[in-house]
Amino acid sequence: MDKLKGILRALLQPLLAIVVGLGAGAIAIAIVGGSVTETYAEMWKGAFGSFYFFTNTLSRATPIMLIGLGVALAFRAGFFNMGSEGQMVLGALSAAVTAIYLPGPAWFKLVAALLAGVIAGGLWSAFAGWLDARFRMNLLITTLLLNYIASLFAGYVVSYPLMDRSGSAAMAQTVMVDKSVWLPKLFQGMSLHAGFLFALIGAIALAWFMRYMVKGYEIRMMGGNPLFASYGGVNRGRLMLYSMFVSGGFAGLAGAGEVLGTQYRYLDGALTSPGYAWSGIMATLLAGSNPLGTALAAILLAALQTGGMGVERNTDVPLEVSSIIQAVLILFISAKFTYSFFKKKKKAGA
Amino acid sequence: MDQLFDVSLFASTLRMITPILLAALGGALCARVGLFNVGLEGLILIGAFSAIVGNHLTGSVWLAVLFAIVCVLVFSLLLAYMAIHLKANVIVVGISLNFLALGLTTFSLRAIFNVKGAYYDKSMVGLPKWDIPLIKDIPWVGDVVSGHSPLVYLSIALVACLQYYLFKTVSGFRLLAAGQNPVAARSLGIKVTHIQYGAVLMCGVLCGLAGAQLSLGQVTMFTEGMTAGRGFIALVATMLGQSNPLGVAGASLLFGFMDALSTRLQGYALPVHFTMMLPYVVTIIAMFFFKDKSYLAEARKANESSR
Repeated sequence: MDKLKGILRALLQPLLAIVVGLGAGAIAIAIVGGSVTETYAEMWKGAFGSFYFFTNTLSRATPIMLIGLGVALAFRAGFFNMGSEGQMVLGALSAAVTAIYLPGPAWFKLVAALLAGVIAGGLWSAFAGWLDARFRMNLLITTLLLNYIASLFAGYVVSYPLMDRSGSAAMAQTVMVDKSVWLPKLFQGMSLHAGFLFALIGAIALAWFMRYMVKGYEIRMMGGNPLFASYGGVNRGRLMLYSMFVSGGFAGLAGAGEVLGTQYRYLDGALTSPGYAWSGIMATLLAGSNPLGTALAAILLAALQTGGMGVERNTDVPLEVSSIIQAVLILFISAKFTYSFFKKKKKAGA
Repeated sequence: MDQLFDVSLFASTLRMITPILLAALGGALCARVGLFNVGLEGLILIGAFSAIVGNHLTGSVWLAVLFAIVCVLVFSLLLAYMAIHLKANVIVVGISLNFLALGLTTFSLRAIFNVKGAYYDKSMVGLPKWDIPLIKDIPWVGDVVSGHSPLVYLSIALVACLQYYLFKTVSGFRLLAAGQNPVAARSLGIKVTHIQYGAVLMCGVLCGLAGAQLSLGQVTMFTEGMTAGRGFIALVATMLGQSNPLGVAGASLLFGFMDALSTRLQGYALPVHFTMMLPYVVTIIAMFFFKDKSYLAEARKANESSR
């Protein structure tokens, strides 16, 4: 009974936040003179209205889920990894380069490309972790800086040495990945690709790892109380390297999945402009770094985004109404910290 | 080489750093009271947008700047309330503020002006260009220093003012104390929360000015997401400058110079990606040498203890 109560209480805050977010959205819609019910109906239709739209939402959720999972791991350990964007970009670039230039059978190239994505993202992230662990350089700032460096580097690679010069369009992009190396689509004619399965498996595996593995416990302990963790013999530096590697690896996988499943090439700006990385961080915040919750929150955010496109198509209300809802959601969720703070204070006083 | 480092390069450096410098000074104030303000980007964006709205509504540039300041103040009050009063994680609040700003400005752009992407009106007047009487006649210096918008000069004056305020006045010392050791400061009767609110609101004023310079200074228009990462660069400049007004000014100068230089180098053989990368690389290297200052430890404590 107590357990049920606990689950309900844990769900209450996110649900309340969704209600508040939708309320703020309703105000915005009313201000521009749209019909609130009609707009929300269009939003629902745009996100879940048909099987096509539903799979479209899931395929948008795929990179957000993967990035969110990686960030959730880092946040749980108390490390503010803001570098998902750079990690994703480098993962995508390495996956594209591996898939295009590596000789061998198709399945081998596919596996190698995915691995290259994970390793590139992981190493870039672990580098920031190393700088913090070894030289005490603030992780939040270094990861932000490394984002710019990674995006610019990838931009350079695809606009000079590896630029696609075969087509007529002078776009900063690599040549197309051979069709045999593409990630299979899950349904005929739909945009959802096998990367979604990786994200699902990743969510379950991460939840299991955090709950039942020794390393997962160490990570939670480090985030909960660093002093206690070091007293218990956890080496902060090494833990930071590991968790940052895995965290970046998830982001790299997200990039690799987008390249091999949707874009089929690395196109400069194609991953950064939809803001996948920041949406992933939002999903993590929304779910309080819980892996399964992050996956759900990612789908919710993706639904708001694809739903917003539906709203744009069929009504006069601009698409950005969904970004307002998302931002209010997050603002409201960050008040959760407050709630637990007050409770703690009361206990201490009693 | 003569062509590369000519007068207009330095003049454009001065123009480009102004938004970054103003925001970075605000960020430095926040960092000094122990709040790591990640929301600079969003605050500048709101400033830029509301400056254009103010200009559109009132037709006066100065009222527009005032309007921008007021609008940004509202949002920084929100940040301060959530972070100080509600004890929400300030980094989380900052990030969500950035989202809110991007969404709200794009939404309002559609709602108010009924355009998508960018708003531009020929009848709008930007900030005036001031010629400094004596200096403008000095050959090289005059061309660099003279003929900018008043906000450019204001930002330079603010550097000196803040430096003096923080390190030479009693209330500046109180502010530093509130950031360095809130418990000790409180026990001396310093109202830490008041000081924190003051710093965040002042940061809001500065970000409003930064936004106004962005949308009314060089060009007179607003484009979606026109801050383009300047807020984050300001954050980095704050870190690099050790939250020291003079240091922050130096760091912003470096960024502005690199920015201007990279635009200039586009005509040369060197790929622009590398020149654009340079400031970030330089910052990482600089962080390696300047570190472990007390306020940094505060910031780190704040981000280690949170999930």
